[in-house]
Amino acid sequence: MNIENLTQLTQFIIDDQPHIIINKEICRVCDNRVCVQVCPANCYSFDEATKLLSVVYENCLECGTCHVICDKKALDWAYPRGGYGVNYRLT
Amino acid sequence: MAKSFDAVKKFDVIVVGAGPAGSMAALKLARESFSVCLLERGKLPGSKNMFGGLLHNTPVLNEMFPDFWQAAPLERHVYKKVLSFMTPDSAVSMTFDNESFDQPPYNGATVFRPVFDNWLAQQAVSAGALLLCDCTVEDVIHEEGRIAGVTIKGRAGELRSNVVIAADGVLSFVARKAGIRNDLKSADMGVGIKLLLGLPEETINERFHLVRDQGADISFLGAAGDIRGGGFLYTNHAAISVGLVMHLESLKVSGKAPYDVLNEFLQHPHVSRLVKGAVPLEYSAHLIPEGGYKAVPPLYTDGLLVAGDAAGLCYTNGINLEGINLAMTSGVLAAQTAIEAINAKDYSAQTLSAYKTKLDSSFVLKDMKTFKNSAGMMHLDRLYRSYPRVFSNIMEKLYKVEGKPRPRLLKLFRKEALKEVGLANLISDGFKIGRSLL
Repeated sequence: MNIENLTQLTQFIIDDQPHIIINKEICRVCDNRVCVQVCPANCYSFDEATKLLSVVYENCLECGTCHVICDKKALDWAYPRGGYGVNYRLT
Repeated sequence: MAKSFDAVKKFDVIVVGAGPAGSMAALKLARESFSVCLLERGKLPGSKNMFGGLLHNTPVLNEMFPDFWQAAPLERHVYKKVLSFMTPDSAVSMTFDNESFDQPPYNGATVFRPVFDNWLAQQAVSAGALLLCDCTVEDVIHEEGRIAGVTIKGRAGELRSNVVIAADGVLSFVARKAGIRNDLKSADMGVGIKLLLGLPEETINERFHLVRDQGADISFLGAAGDIRGGGFLYTNHAAISVGLVMHLESLKVSGKAPYDVLNEFLQHPHVSRLVKGAVPLEYSAHLIPEGGYKAVPPLYTDGLLVAGDAAGLCYTNGINLEGINLAMTSGVLAAQTAIEAINAKDYSAQTLSAYKTKLDSSFVLKDMKTFKNSAGMMHLDRLYRSYPRVFSNIMEKLYKVEGKPRPRLLKLFRKEALKEVGLANLISDGFKIGRSLL
């Protein structure tokens, strides 16, 4: 068994307001960008050409791994507004 | 325009988070006729919550619900416990089948959190608690030197109370806003990821040798390659929960993505047989406070009590993995402390410190204290890499028949252990493991 795009299995109620804001300037020069590696939902990506870190907050499982592991304090991370975000049905 | 609260609403207690800790606190308060507001940021209680899958037998549940094991929405009670030591191509497993685990009150049962947490919150509602879903706390209200309520993201107005119980999970924004917790340390955290896989009930029964509502709980050590952590597999009625817990610092060092490690785990020859033919249903992730006793943050301040994961009440010693039972117990003890404070009309930290005393004398902090050195022990990389190999090599040599003279067993054990671990490490690991468990 090998499953790609695991987050497609999970339901999200998407808010038009992002709950994660990236400080692009800090992330541009970050020496590790560990958020890209450790996010269980693969929300982060770094574009080598533009040197921009971006986040797909719509797929966020709200675990907080990036929030805890970022050693540059570059993520303004909060829970989404009530009723929005990940919506587990079974788990 | 977002809904607003009529200027100010006032309760005896506001409980933030309708998870196991929060709902038990709200239930206790409502049963004793105190006005309690239970806030939940999800659409329904449990819709943000995830764990491996096992609800442990918890005395406060049996006290609050004499018919708990009949009334609660449980999947399977755990009858079979398995501990597997994994190397990349082998597994050494120890299975414990126990008839006493087949009688209520069961030792534990698997549950689906969106189902169980909602049921538990509804019990609090039936007892008189006001449950407000879709409410993420924005901030706490500081007044007259204490926490006196909360505000809600996207809504005007305030919710006020004499005591606030923060049961808002491992990231506890409430405890941080209240100023009693600093930034969370990745060294004290693990990330759990889980895949729920559908399998027909008969297949589960046959594959795991179960009948009726019997369930299996399998823990895997050495399941995440070189990453410190473990794997788990729990059986539900017609689905299995399979996943990994990985220490954040170790995951970072590995350079691997969590879902890739999970896919590798699912492809391990021992695991792939257990999940064969299953249909992926849901994927989830959550942080786990893994710092143990030494990382328990302040548990109260003026007007505020902290319970469950928010208070870091969770531990593992490699054999026991407990959190939900500590959470529910702490929720009830927080509620009892709030009741004493309300009766005395004194919400000071000094009065609320009775909560810590209660936790200290319950199994919650007693067990965490007993295994206070386990968090350090669990940081031994060799526990996940070398020792499963030692066990596997010994088992292979014990059973392999190839017409060569056999060594005596002690000689075999010594040789294999020295080969993989070395004498100095064996002594220091033995000391560490002994100090945490024995």
